[in-house]
Amino acid sequence: MSVKRLGGLLTILAGLALTIGSAMQPAASAGPEPLKMEGTIQSSDWEAYRTRFVDASGRVIDNANGDISHSEGQGYGLLLAFAAGDRKTFEQIWTFTFTQFLIRDDGLSVWKWDPKAKPNVSDSNNATDGDILIAYALAKAGTSWREPRYLQAAQNIARAIGRNAIARNMGRPVLLPGSTGFGFSNRPDGPVVNLSYWIFEAFPVLAALAPEYDWNGVRSEGIALLQQADQTKTRLPPDWLSIREKGQFRPAEGFPPEFGYNSLRIPLYLLRAGVTDVEWLKTLKQRWLGNEGVAIVDVTTGQVKERLTDQGYAALAVTLACVLDKTQVPAALKTFEPNLYYPSTLYLLSMSFLGEKYPQCL
Amino acid sequence: MPLTRGIIATLLASVAFSASAQTRDGDPTLRQPPGAVFTNGVLTAQAPTPAPPASAPSPSAANPAQPDESALRYFAAQGDTRRVDAEIARLRALYPNWTPPADLTQLSAQSALQPDVETDRIWSLFTEGRLAEARAAIAARIATDPQWKPPAELVSALDIAEARIRLVNASDNNQWRTVLSIATDNPSLLTCANVDSLWRVAEAFAKTNQASRTRDVYTYVLTNCGNRAERLATLQKAVELLPEAQILDLLKFERKTGAEQDDFSEVRDELARRRVERAATDPKLKVSTDDLAVVERLAEGESAPGNALLLGWYNYHHEQPEKARDWFKTALDRNGGAKAAEGLALSLRALNQFIPADAVAYEWRDKSKDNLNVYLDVVTALLSQDPPLRVDPAVITRSIPVITREKFSNGGQALGWYSYNTGQFRTARDWFAKALNWKPDDEPSAYGLALSYLRLNDRAGFASVANAWRGRSDRIAELANGGTGSRLPPEPRAVPTVPEEPVVGQRRIEAVAPARPAETWYPESTPLRVSAPRAPAGRGAKCNGTGNPLTLSPGAALTLGWCLMELNRPLEAVTAFDQAILRGSGRTKQDAAYGKSLAYLRKDLTSQAAVAAAQAPQPPQRQVELSATILAQRAIAAYRAGRYVEVILALGERARLVPEQNDLMLLRGWSYFKLGRYDDAQRIFQTVQRTGYSDDANVGLNAILEATRPIRQY
Repeated sequence: MSVKRLGGLLTILAGLALTIGSAMQPAASAGPEPLKMEGTIQSSDWEAYRTRFVDASGRVIDNANGDISHSEGQGYGLLLAFAAGDRKTFEQIWTFTFTQFLIRDDGLSVWKWDPKAKPNVSDSNNATDGDILIAYALAKAGTSWREPRYLQAAQNIARAIGRNAIARNMGRPVLLPGSTGFGFSNRPDGPVVNLSYWIFEAFPVLAALAPEYDWNGVRSEGIALLQQADQTKTRLPPDWLSIREKGQFRPAEGFPPEFGYNSLRIPLYLLRAGVTDVEWLKTLKQRWLGNEGVAIVDVTTGQVKERLTDQGYAALAVTLACVLDKTQVPAALKTFEPNLYYPSTLYLLSMSFLGEKYPQCL
Repeated sequence: MPLTRGIIATLLASVAFSASAQTRDGDPTLRQPPGAVFTNGVLTAQAPTPAPPASAPSPSAANPAQPDESALRYFAAQGDTRRVDAEIARLRALYPNWTPPADLTQLSAQSALQPDVETDRIWSLFTEGRLAEARAAIAARIATDPQWKPPAELVSALDIAEARIRLVNASDNNQWRTVLSIATDNPSLLTCANVDSLWRVAEAFAKTNQASRTRDVYTYVLTNCGNRAERLATLQKAVELLPEAQILDLLKFERKTGAEQDDFSEVRDELARRRVERAATDPKLKVSTDDLAVVERLAEGESAPGNALLLGWYNYHHEQPEKARDWFKTALDRNGGAKAAEGLALSLRALNQFIPADAVAYEWRDKSKDNLNVYLDVVTALLSQDPPLRVDPAVITRSIPVITREKFSNGGQALGWYSYNTGQFRTARDWFAKALNWKPDDEPSAYGLALSYLRLNDRAGFASVANAWRGRSDRIAELANGGTGSRLPPEPRAVPTVPEEPVVGQRRIEAVAPARPAETWYPESTPLRVSAPRAPAGRGAKCNGTGNPLTLSPGAALTLGWCLMELNRPLEAVTAFDQAILRGSGRTKQDAAYGKSLAYLRKDLTSQAAVAAAQAPQPPQRQVELSATILAQRAIAAYRAGRYVEVILALGERARLVPEQNDLMLLRGWSYFKLGRYDDAQRIFQTVQRTGYSDDANVGLNAILEATRPIRQY
């Protein structure tokens, strides 16, 4: 039994590059070409990002939140380093991620690391988007650079995500934001999900790494939930959404009922995964390119709580305009001016994507 | 060292086994095979079952005291003497017992390698602990030169260093299965050079319910590792995680010979302290005097309150209230805070030192719920003492807002009795009513209320209580049947005394007019109640007073004696106690003599009681109690017989033993009166009057006035 399992694992490893490559091809019907990513971030932009947000130990620093680090930041850092073709920094960030974050018994990452806390890990819960980003970046880099360490780690994490973060809700697979605390039995309004944790471009890759889990079902459920969001009064999902009752689309208890910093990423994730036919994207485009602009909005009243002006948020809107309407990126947005970690990350992810798929907008 | 190899291999096999057995997930297809290790990009398999000793894996495992010398060897091979020296200094600082390998010079002499500046730099990063940069430098070099391979020692050194960091991080965050799986994958971490990792693995075993493996790890350290401080620390960690029996086994590894001897006495002290701690609040658990002596020594040698507090609790719960009080005082002086104050108040209360108990309990009442409860209990006990204690009125006044805020019915009831016993019946009525309101099913409060109404001659009030409690309280019904007002109910307490300023709840004492002439009132109509010592409670449980004492064992005869006392058959009890005195010894004989005295006192056979008390030596406190009772009864009997000089002699003797109660002072006053010593009688009655016992004292003073009036009435 054990010998057979071992052989199977070796085979998977040996064939992983190929498997991931083929998973990126449309499986059943003609679908979008997966992102290559590598080499789509200019080295000057990457240097500006790296020198500002990555330290020598490989820690990605969220300078808007007390210089803490989190699994999401490590994941973005890995992904951007790969997109910039920077093997050195990728390895640096990975070393920190591996030694400081990947310590949970279930194989997932702790989510919060605080330089001022003792021990530094100040919350050992996981965050599923961070886990997905790390596994996805490792798989991309491991395949491209033929680094089996990355592929093995990616596979371990993908399996751990499948095992711990996919729940069934009324027969449908859903992605829980963390392995504890969000499920049906954990809270009166559970399951609670965060639609911005659906990193659509990663699901085919995770499916190749851990085919025993229903990643395609998770992907479809995410899109179905977004389509439901489009049926609500304000046509916006809250960051934290209770899906306990079928057809009832309500903000989760204890979270602000807002379309906030989390949800801003959803259109970018959809577009990067080649999903352009979701009606909701048009809804959002009207808001973002109209008078309102990119903003945090109360999903129960539709009121704008905060307008977001950093170029990273503007980049989200112009990316949407480019994909849906072929609108050109304004010249002012073509120069990267990193300020805060989060919008700077969104900026590079947007521009990397446009550079690869829609160079005509640039 | 084949033994070491064997232990390490067994240990590792068990680590591997546990880590895989712990896999939580229900999906068996996802389980790694036991012992599958992924290192440096290559998946290798270890034997899935416990490995035979011969396969003990890494070189460092075979030599547990050695730190990682790979960087040193590298620098030596490069002929870089400056770095060799720096690395030797670094390793010496980390591992004081380490000596550099002798073959280093040979290595550098035979070095045929081209110096490699880049590899050299990466080693430097590694030795400085800059692991991410070292890894990054390797990756950067591979990116530009795909043919280049990092030296195997460098990769393995990085792997081990990272594993160690992960093990520490996982253990700091209670990720115990991660700790065990890292240990499985990196056996070379588990060496004496890394005792910290061994400790963390031991803890991970304990936290995953594998205590015997925890013990194996500690045994391994104590068998193989030489550092004294680390050996002691190993036992100190074991104390936190293992049962006492296993610690005792580990203590046997203490080295008593050789250059570096161990001293584990700290650990033995800690075990003793924990035994005392376990028994501290459980009267059924006793510890040895040796253990107590250890904790006393620890407490005396420190300025922290912890051990003093521990000794306070132990003594408090083991019938040593004096010792408890002293230790709690010490703890309080050492800033032991609320817990020390709580213990001190409880100990003082146990010593019947109610006034100081109240003082300390009051001061700390707001510090915690426990402190508040202790204060309420102490002040209730203080108020409930019979006869009432002479207390500063402020003590009572300050208790009222606390009792009221907490709606503490026992406290309200105690204020009721206190008022009642000091003749303040309106106040008593109000407190009983309040207590009953706070706890509507509290029969004693209702009883107090009924009595208060009677004393106030409030028929309507009495009737309402009697009606409300019909069928629920025999004694209230009895009061009702006895008529309301035609005769006084029995006193709930002995004759009351009153504090100097009898103010309760801002009410002044109420004067109760004497209703009867002095001559007929005092000695004849109201038998003086001397509260005789009571038989120990609970001894005669379920007794029916049968059995022939002459055929019983001394213990059983003693029990029968108490039983008969409870059934109020004192003369039969004397026979039973006699049997116990005759055939028993020690405590039994002593108790039986005591019981016999009580039996005679019950029958007013005072001189027999005194004889019985002398049949076995009694403890001083009991001796005093018996003598005082005997003398009081003797005085009363003498008064009834008209032998007034004897009364004064008996009471004088008694007053040397215990403070005189007001009722007996009155008796003395009346005796002087009868002897015509009016000045002495007046002095006594005035003293009584000043203590607030004015009604009865007034009767006596009036009698003197009458007797000394120039024109007599007869």
